[in-house]
Amino acid sequence: MTSDKVPHAGSIFDPKLLSRCISCGFCLPACPTYALTADEASSPRGRINLMRALDSGMLPPDDPTLAEQASFCLGCRACEPVCPAGVQYGELLEQWRGFQWTGRRRPTAVRFLIFAAERTWAHRIAGRLRGAAHAPAAGSRHSLMLGCFERSLFPEVSRSALALAPELAVPSKQGCCGALHAHNGEPGRGRQLAGQLGAQLPGQIVTTSGGCAAHLSAVIGRDRVAELSEYLQNRVTGQVQMGDRLARVALQDSCHLRNGLDVWREPRALLNAVAEYVELPGAARCCGAAGTYALVRPRDSRRVLGPKIDEIEAAGIDYVVAVNPGCLRQLRQGLRRRKSTVRALHIADFLRLAAD
Amino acid sequence: MFADLTVLGETGIPRTVLAELHAIVGSENLRLADGELVVYARDATPLFRGIPDAVIAPADTEQVARILRLATDHGIPVVPRGAGSNLCAGTVPLTGGMVLSTARMTRILEVAPEEMLARAEAGVSTMALGNAAAADGLFYPPDPGSRTVSTIGGNVATCAGGLRGLKYGVTRNYVLGLTVVLPTGEIVRTGGRLWKDVAGYDLTRLITGSEGTLGVITEVTVALLPDPSTSRTGLAYFDSLAQAGRAVSDILAAGVIPSTLEFLDRSCMDAVEEYAHLGLHSGAGALLLFGDDGDEAIVARSFERIAAACESAGAIGVQTAGDITESEALLTARRCTLPALSRLGSLTILEDASVPRPRLAEMVARIDAIAARHRVTMATFGHAGDGNLHPTCVLESAEDTEGIARAERAFAEIFHTAIELGGTITGEHGVGAAKLPYLEQRLGSAQMDLIRRIKTAFDPAGILNPGKLGS
Repeated sequence: MTSDKVPHAGSIFDPKLLSRCISCGFCLPACPTYALTADEASSPRGRINLMRALDSGMLPPDDPTLAEQASFCLGCRACEPVCPAGVQYGELLEQWRGFQWTGRRRPTAVRFLIFAAERTWAHRIAGRLRGAAHAPAAGSRHSLMLGCFERSLFPEVSRSALALAPELAVPSKQGCCGALHAHNGEPGRGRQLAGQLGAQLPGQIVTTSGGCAAHLSAVIGRDRVAELSEYLQNRVTGQVQMGDRLARVALQDSCHLRNGLDVWREPRALLNAVAEYVELPGAARCCGAAGTYALVRPRDSRRVLGPKIDEIEAAGIDYVVAVNPGCLRQLRQGLRRRKSTVRALHIADFLRLAAD
Repeated sequence: MFADLTVLGETGIPRTVLAELHAIVGSENLRLADGELVVYARDATPLFRGIPDAVIAPADTEQVARILRLATDHGIPVVPRGAGSNLCAGTVPLTGGMVLSTARMTRILEVAPEEMLARAEAGVSTMALGNAAAADGLFYPPDPGSRTVSTIGGNVATCAGGLRGLKYGVTRNYVLGLTVVLPTGEIVRTGGRLWKDVAGYDLTRLITGSEGTLGVITEVTVALLPDPSTSRTGLAYFDSLAQAGRAVSDILAAGVIPSTLEFLDRSCMDAVEEYAHLGLHSGAGALLLFGDDGDEAIVARSFERIAAACESAGAIGVQTAGDITESEALLTARRCTLPALSRLGSLTILEDASVPRPRLAEMVARIDAIAARHRVTMATFGHAGDGNLHPTCVLESAEDTEGIARAERAFAEIFHTAIELGGTITGEHGVGAAKLPYLEQRLGSAQMDLIRRIKTAFDPAGILNPGKLGS
């Protein structure tokens, strides 16, 4: 067995964070991958014990279970709110991948995405061509952040957000927030990019992506960042009708928005104000998009998504709303494969539909 | 007291046996890679470790029987494991061998309202069983703190207690029948569906609390009660834990048996508050959590009497929860006390002494004195109404060997004191590997011999959970 240089204890993980877990197992029922396998290794508690085995040198860095579990984890952080000990699992996972996914060990899809995300000029041009929002900073106190991939994949989202909050500045010249890097083995670069974006955009930074919101606020401060529904508060008008009745709408939480920032009441309140809100039993559970996961592990991503599409189909709803572009893409694909009549929309687009 | 870590390496199980195990459960349910084994080296108990040679997850009773027959034939240790949430190192594979996980056996086989019972496979979580009963208007009372994750098989194996023990008793009071695979491979069905049945020794009770040393429990039949129409929870604050302990004696002496009487000292309150943000009184030295259920009028009367008893015992404040959500939040917070305590230090060693109820306040005072004498930080909470205390020693780090040694000395004294006051070394967490050295002190040599003879009758090859009860 060839093994890389064994790191010395304490060099990969913050020892204070790693020692916090007492293995009580309260996280097991919250973990989507443990639900798939019923195997300790794919639970948060098991993964922390794997991190410890790596940290202490008991397992070599090229141990196949380490590689598999660092990648199999969705990084949804559903284990954090249920942890009485306050273990910061998301932070530990970033540190783990920071080591595990260096050089040749990084999955090809991740390498490609990070390469693409770094091409800021390309996003700027694509965004302008596809018609993403654009509003110079003149006099605006706060700004709207444009997601790297959202600009070209879902350009209507930022237009809707700007229509709902026309006071926001939307400069096209803005970089990536670095969430992609932080979650995929480059925590240092992730923090650097977030810092740069914080310096680039004035005032409070409003985002249409739960994942970006959580990462940005971890670096530049919670008070500098607001997810769109949090920013809008109760500022919505109109209703979404289906014929002569109110539309029935459900929400798919963004994992990092809910588990990282505790924002989940806000989007529900908004949807409830303009339509008939229906709570899905698993609304808080990951949809399997999980940032790059749907590309890195498409098969597992679909296994996680399956039960959610069942729930959506059984709920008798007209719309399912996402608060993160990755979730939106994932839900749309799942619904299309099922030939479902339920429409998936970003919350900005749904609220604009109500206002129009 | 603390086991050394076994070193990773070649498996101790012969190749031919591995091939047979493979044929029984299939490749994805037999785990052999180093990384897959490391995660089964421990349970929720600190300081105990042992790396297994294999982890096997059978689908049903028949597969368990085939696995155990092989293990007995080849002398391979087998350690049964539910959710691994126990607190006595009961599922640590101290001598290697196989960890047998019940995680795939998760079917609720039946809820029979007309017979007021439920039947479930061993891997069903306590909460899932409770929810299934509630869906039929029925109630499964035992509620160990880890109920969201613990399994019914593990609950029976450890005779788990919980927050409702005072009025409703513990797991053993609800077990009607068991399907058990003996280490030699025979499948036995003890008890059954009957409320009255004295045919033979009560093997159901013997196996309940046997901690995976006599057989592997694969299926459980439990008795249910009608779901109580009302349940409420309240809080009383005191200056000290000993004072709260006296209030408990007064409440019970007044003839009230509430479903729940739990207490927490200041350190525990701080840890819980940091996690759950309940707005607990910041100036109090201790908190008493009380709860009762049943008919609305009866609960209201019991609450009046509890509040009166607390006030006359010197409570500095009494509150009752407004609604069910608030009640549930209080109970959930109490269940999280132990893990929340790790916010105070990364190593928490918890104990489980139990004393006769009238000696509770005295025991609390003695624990304080012992902690001070050995210079350890001790946070105490527990099931006050049952006389069951969880003094928890909090240390900065697992590497603090000197601190661990002081904690060990303090706990040895706590056990000794509990026995002196007519109590026991473990009320509900079990003996496992953690308390085995202290067991003879509690039981005496004649009982220890009897236990070993019982163990040999069930498990002649000594393969089941070595280093635990009966070893």
